[in-house]
Amino acid sequence: MSTQASPLDKPLKLEDLLQRNIWDVDEDPHIEIPMDDQEGLRKRALVHLCPAGCYTMIGDKVLFSYEGCFECGLCRVITPEDKIRWEYPKSGKGIQYRFT
Amino acid sequence: MRIVVGIKWVPNTQAVRFDPKTGTLIRTGVPAIVNPHDLPAAELALRLRDEYGGEVIVLTMAPPPAVQGLEHILGMGADKAVLLTDRAFAGADTLATSYVIAEGIRKIEREIGKVDLAVFGQETIDSSTAHIGAQVASWLGWPYIYYVKNAKMVNGALRVERQLENAVETFDVGLPAVVSVAMKALKARPVRLSHKLRVKLEKPIIVWSNKDLGLDPRCVGLKGSPTIVSKVTYLPEVPRRKIVYKPKDPRDAARWILAQLFQDEKTREALHKALWG
Amino acid sequence: MDGVPGKFDVVVVGAGPAGSAAAYLLAKAGFKVLILERGRGAGSKELFGGKVYAPPLRDVWPGLDKEAPIHRWVTRERISFVRGSRVATIEYSLGRRVGFTTYLPELAKWMSDKAVEAGAVLVDEVRVDEIVVRDGRIVGVRSGPDTVEADVVVDAEGVNRLLLERLGLVERLNPSYVALGVKEVLNVGKGTIEERFALPKGEGLAWMVAGDVTAGIPGGGFIYTMKDTIAIGLVLHIGKAMEKAEAGQINKHVSRILEEFRLHPYFKQFWKDADVMEYGAHMTIEGGLRMVPKRLYAPGLVIVGDAAGLLLNTGYTVRGVDFAVASGRIAAEAIIEAFNRGGPTEENLRLYEERLKESFVWRELVRHRWIGRGMEDECYFTSMPGVLIRILEKLYEADYEEPTLIDALLESLAEEDISLTKLIMKLGSVVSKL
Repeated sequence: MSTQASPLDKPLKLEDLLQRNIWDVDEDPHIEIPMDDQEGLRKRALVHLCPAGCYTMIGDKVLFSYEGCFECGLCRVITPEDKIRWEYPKSGKGIQYRFT
Repeated sequence: MRIVVGIKWVPNTQAVRFDPKTGTLIRTGVPAIVNPHDLPAAELALRLRDEYGGEVIVLTMAPPPAVQGLEHILGMGADKAVLLTDRAFAGADTLATSYVIAEGIRKIEREIGKVDLAVFGQETIDSSTAHIGAQVASWLGWPYIYYVKNAKMVNGALRVERQLENAVETFDVGLPAVVSVAMKALKARPVRLSHKLRVKLEKPIIVWSNKDLGLDPRCVGLKGSPTIVSKVTYLPEVPRRKIVYKPKDPRDAARWILAQLFQDEKTREALHKALWG
Repeated sequence: MDGVPGKFDVVVVGAGPAGSAAAYLLAKAGFKVLILERGRGAGSKELFGGKVYAPPLRDVWPGLDKEAPIHRWVTRERISFVRGSRVATIEYSLGRRVGFTTYLPELAKWMSDKAVEAGAVLVDEVRVDEIVVRDGRIVGVRSGPDTVEADVVVDAEGVNRLLLERLGLVERLNPSYVALGVKEVLNVGKGTIEERFALPKGEGLAWMVAGDVTAGIPGGGFIYTMKDTIAIGLVLHIGKAMEKAEAGQINKHVSRILEEFRLHPYFKQFWKDADVMEYGAHMTIEGGLRMVPKRLYAPGLVIVGDAAGLLLNTGYTVRGVDFAVASGRIAAEAIIEAFNRGGPTEENLRLYEERLKESFVWRELVRHRWIGRGMEDECYFTSMPGVLIRILEKLYEADYEEPTLIDALLESLAEEDISLTKLIMKLGSVVSKL
């Protein structure tokens, strides 16, 4: 919960935008990518295009965190099949859209 | 064994935002969820039932939309659900709530059968009092153990592991008893199609109003609640500054961090004390 | 695998517009219908632009206008071309009520409630993992350890269509066939929409934006007025965005591109002081017929909605929800007919594909089939709006002497590095296919 509003006349940071949303986060990740062999991952595209910013670079590795995922499927589409395990969250978990 | 699991239907507080203009919380459009700390409690109850037979009854005191939360636990595999709902229950503090819950358990004993164990979560995400388990145990006169991480039956008693900061205590407790399960102690099983379908087809949710419980209206809801919240102050967020320093040599990074820390007099003193006493 | 009590006539995967339309009509006709939805309640995973075409929905729910959660009937359509802070806009004022704006989570909830009222069973919080095949025919679906059997499975799983892919009925999604929709919902305060957009009370606006708001990625922007909020967003071609990102030509996060659209010096006035209520994204179909599976039916299976690739994005209109509902209706009618003819055999379910191909949905997709490929042509997205704005700039922002129209055109083309021949060819190709 944030008690401080970011000014609306400036671009909101992704964290600020994501704070508007609701998730019921599952305990298990519904998407996984390998950490060792990342050959073939389109890292720049994942980092810039994943709308929820789930992909970040740590050194030359791309790191994925599933908690804020929109379940949109973009990363699955741009990643070789054998480099990503992609499911929807179970038990109704994940993003809970309301006004979209 | 017959196990009752108490759950709370709470707003997803992660989504509750603060309106700095009015100084209040924006709760509109915030969907409710089963209090996440109640899920390990439900899991423990289901595991005990799977191991020793019997049934799990999920219980809540809430307005009717909480049926959705009961269905979630039924979807995990609970056998029955009881919704205690009445306008008279509204505005309850933990005392009035635990009274209604305890009376709900008593009614389950009268109507369905003897209850061996009542299980609660450690606390709720929307009020964090951790009162309900203890208070229900008091009303019922049953022993109470909290911060439970696991339990099994040994020689007719429940052997309970209690998670402390740096130790695990083991208790053997006679039944009936009340336990509250430590948050994140157990991973909740997923909702299953077969269970959820049974919920829709058989509708195993019992609804009791205060007419069914027959409680003195002065002892429930707002009227039965002595707690007064005089004021709520929200702490302003501390603005934090993120600096990324990426030298080639990690030793340079270490030196840089120390230099940053030692810039501030207070930090310098604290570090000195910590390092050299 | 555990069996599940009771067999159903039809299992519908997904409580979106297509699934709920099919379930509603089938339940109304007396079929035993089960809808499986992965979200918490219907609608919780739904996101779209903001506008729905009403007529195909009225075919299914005649009470739509009175009962559905309609935010505003769209009586104004605008298209704007943007280059930097310069904007050229065409506005069209409609003579009748064809489309309305809404929140799709609300509308999808309403549609699934209708199906449940009609007798369908909705089970939410359940993810379907597999469509189950036995002896060459589809016999049900599996979720975790549980299998539920049905005579027909209606696949309304949505754009990602994991199940169809696992079944081998479709290829992996091609990045060039899909787009990413990113969206913000802006809270402008009760009763201010009319004033902000000079709209008659209760009426709404749909606004498409072409030009450099997408940071050079083929696609466009949209603005829809809801009851007391405004939906703004971008639709971005994923194949091209991926190429550009990998080539280092996109150096900001997609949310930043959207934020810059929200703060665009011209557009921001319409939502001054508005807070962002929600930010989200969903994948959508780029348009054309390329995403339609080779067959829309199999023994015991029909495919509807986004999973069937049935969405049309012409750039000036987007039609997804109404196509989904229409395909759900046609599927339900075909299933009813198939049972009348002796059962949902492959032969009888072919009716669905035949009828879909006779419907307006198919005619629309065929008519605009070039658009999918056109979407990839950056010329239409960046250069053309750029040329138009440059022409207007030369005509309207001249200090003393304004150029002739033809000079303005030629200069603008040169500045955007397009030859006159190319322009004529591009325009000719557009006009011939419109």
